[in-house]
Amino acid sequence: MIIDESTDRIRNLTEREFEAEYGASRYTCNVLANRSRFVAGHMSTNIVTRAFSPIISLNMDYVCAVVGPPELDYPLVGMNQGNFIFLGSLATGVRKTVEEFGVDRLAPGDLLVSNDPYRVGNHVNDACFIRPVFHGGRIVSFTVIRAHMLDIGGIIPGGFSLFKKNVYENGLVVPPMRIFEKGEPVKEVLRLFLDNGRFAATLLPDFFTINSSCALGDEQIQESVERYGLDAWLGAMRYSLDSSAEAMRRALQTLPDGEYEGEDVLDTDGADSEEIYRFHVTVIKKGKRVEVDLSGSSRQARTSLNATPLDAQTSAALGLKVLLDPQTPFTSGTYRNIDLVIPPGTISSAMPDASTHFYWEVQAALVNALINALAEPLGSRAIGGLYGSTNLHTGSGMTPDGRPWFSAAELEAQFGGWGATDAGDADGHTGTFTLNQRLTPTEEIERRVPVLLTAREYIPDTGGPGKYRGGSGFRKDSLFLADGDHWLMPLHFRFPSGFGVNGGKAGRVGGSWFFENQDPDKPECEYRLVGATDTDGVVVSGVVDENGALDENGEFAFFARVPYWTENKGSTLRWITNGGGGWGDPFEREIEAVIRDVRDGYVTILGALRDYGVVVVGDPDEDPEGLTIDEAATAAARA
Amino acid sequence: MAYDRPTELLVNQERVPAKGKCPECSEEQLFSYPVLSEGGWFKVVKCRHCLASLKRESDPVGQITIFSATI
Repeated sequence: MIIDESTDRIRNLTEREFEAEYGASRYTCNVLANRSRFVAGHMSTNIVTRAFSPIISLNMDYVCAVVGPPELDYPLVGMNQGNFIFLGSLATGVRKTVEEFGVDRLAPGDLLVSNDPYRVGNHVNDACFIRPVFHGGRIVSFTVIRAHMLDIGGIIPGGFSLFKKNVYENGLVVPPMRIFEKGEPVKEVLRLFLDNGRFAATLLPDFFTINSSCALGDEQIQESVERYGLDAWLGAMRYSLDSSAEAMRRALQTLPDGEYEGEDVLDTDGADSEEIYRFHVTVIKKGKRVEVDLSGSSRQARTSLNATPLDAQTSAALGLKVLLDPQTPFTSGTYRNIDLVIPPGTISSAMPDASTHFYWEVQAALVNALINALAEPLGSRAIGGLYGSTNLHTGSGMTPDGRPWFSAAELEAQFGGWGATDAGDADGHTGTFTLNQRLTPTEEIERRVPVLLTAREYIPDTGGPGKYRGGSGFRKDSLFLADGDHWLMPLHFRFPSGFGVNGGKAGRVGGSWFFENQDPDKPECEYRLVGATDTDGVVVSGVVDENGALDENGEFAFFARVPYWTENKGSTLRWITNGGGGWGDPFEREIEAVIRDVRDGYVTILGALRDYGVVVVGDPDEDPEGLTIDEAATAAARA
Repeated sequence: MAYDRPTELLVNQERVPAKGKCPECSEEQLFSYPVLSEGGWFKVVKCRHCLASLKRESDPVGQITIFSATI
């Protein structure tokens, strides 16, 4: 590993040189760089504790950020530990919105909004709110919140339908507009949102909370500028950007020069099962320069399985950051040495009037393709592949007493198995690298939705075998207590997603099913599924045999053979997620780790022998602490 | 503005050959194409051999012209 120790590092500047470059001392710049993240963190606390929409308050589908002024070209300089899917859209989206609205038209207390994916990235539900921070009559920063609006109109409640064919079916598209003017709501703009979206009573207070959160950030920035001076505030921003750029540049230099190709696929766009969507990533590394080229990727989808270039930029930078530089803060400077080459009209760079609603699925596949591309050059630092898709679910219907119910992004299998690393085994129930969200608590889901979550458990032998084991697949069962329609969007059950690295093996591929005619009024009904085989169900998606059970040599069941699934009270939706990839030769896994896996239910006795060459003796269910190793048989199996 | 869906299944970025020699590595492998980086979209002329940028021109519009934004 060769690190460039050239003298152009910030740390090598003398104090005098540093102050001349950044307008303040090294100490002050560090204080103010941290202050930007602190401001974003306070904005986050404000919104998460006051938002009415569960997707904000419980799922944390938002990000708060501090963006630099026009004179610095609108860079992202600080953000909270929010949802990373928005990273690529923050700086460029803010610039686009402010410039189109007119920077000279802005006044203190204004709040701009835009949700057009072709201007600000993401999808129409993810509105971008921007407040200019004035000091001494000039804009010195912007406080920004990107947050998911519970509904923005469109063809289904909540908007989570894969089957939207164009941007017009998405819902309301808002060009740059002023939603608060000098601190006061612009009622006609609020009405535009409220009259076009469902759940208006929930949305309305969220607009005020977002405004107050941006105002809080404004106030804290004003305090900082007042105390340290404008030169220091702006200089600290440049320092943050240069530090991020330097950290990524040095990290990239640990990668050998070369061209590295990787790929991931998504099963289908839901229009038919014929066209498989490929994500081809070529990483070209020459010295301190890197290009990430998405040429060779599939054309844009016919449905809403698309993303914008800003979303792809998130994946490229975040993927490299996860692999090479996970410790330092993310700013726009992270992109400085990374050129993203992305042909127009791919699934990652869809053109109007395509719908980009499922952009996060595209982002996840891109990151998986990127870590796949760099598996070989990274050697021991390679990471196994992830579980693939968030398998989204949207449901709605009427309860037996005539009450409408609705659920979005709660009853899918959003989390899954990560790939193992040289640090050890991977977790089996975590979001994709780009999704930094929480799952809605079971109690909250069951309070609002007529459903019982009857199972959430790991499945043995699903994590990719390796010296370090990939995260296990898990089963999630949801028993519906009312009739309803269900939109299901599983996108990665056709091919493995959790590839192994350094001799590790791939994680197993999962699927989804409906089990019908369960009787929710009988207390024992939830137990009837325990021990049931998947052949009892109606397969929604997966590669299965003629009975509907998972079989890698079987046929792919196309989930969109019906536009939505109409299910009666008593149906159970089951997910089994993909396992993550293993790291290293599984026959080098410590024997004690294998026996522990058998005891804990991650590996069966059969799997221990087949995948790890370890002969475990005993009964893991009846006497888990009594398991022993047949050492002679293990030595023979591993020979 | 609406754009047509590409007819080819897999899409590639066109790189237009540019005249000249790279001042860093002396290779005559210069190409012009768009990239997305810090600061948004740029029209670049780069050396295929060493990735040095001979020209980087900011492109605020990028790949998509939004009709309503032209009013």
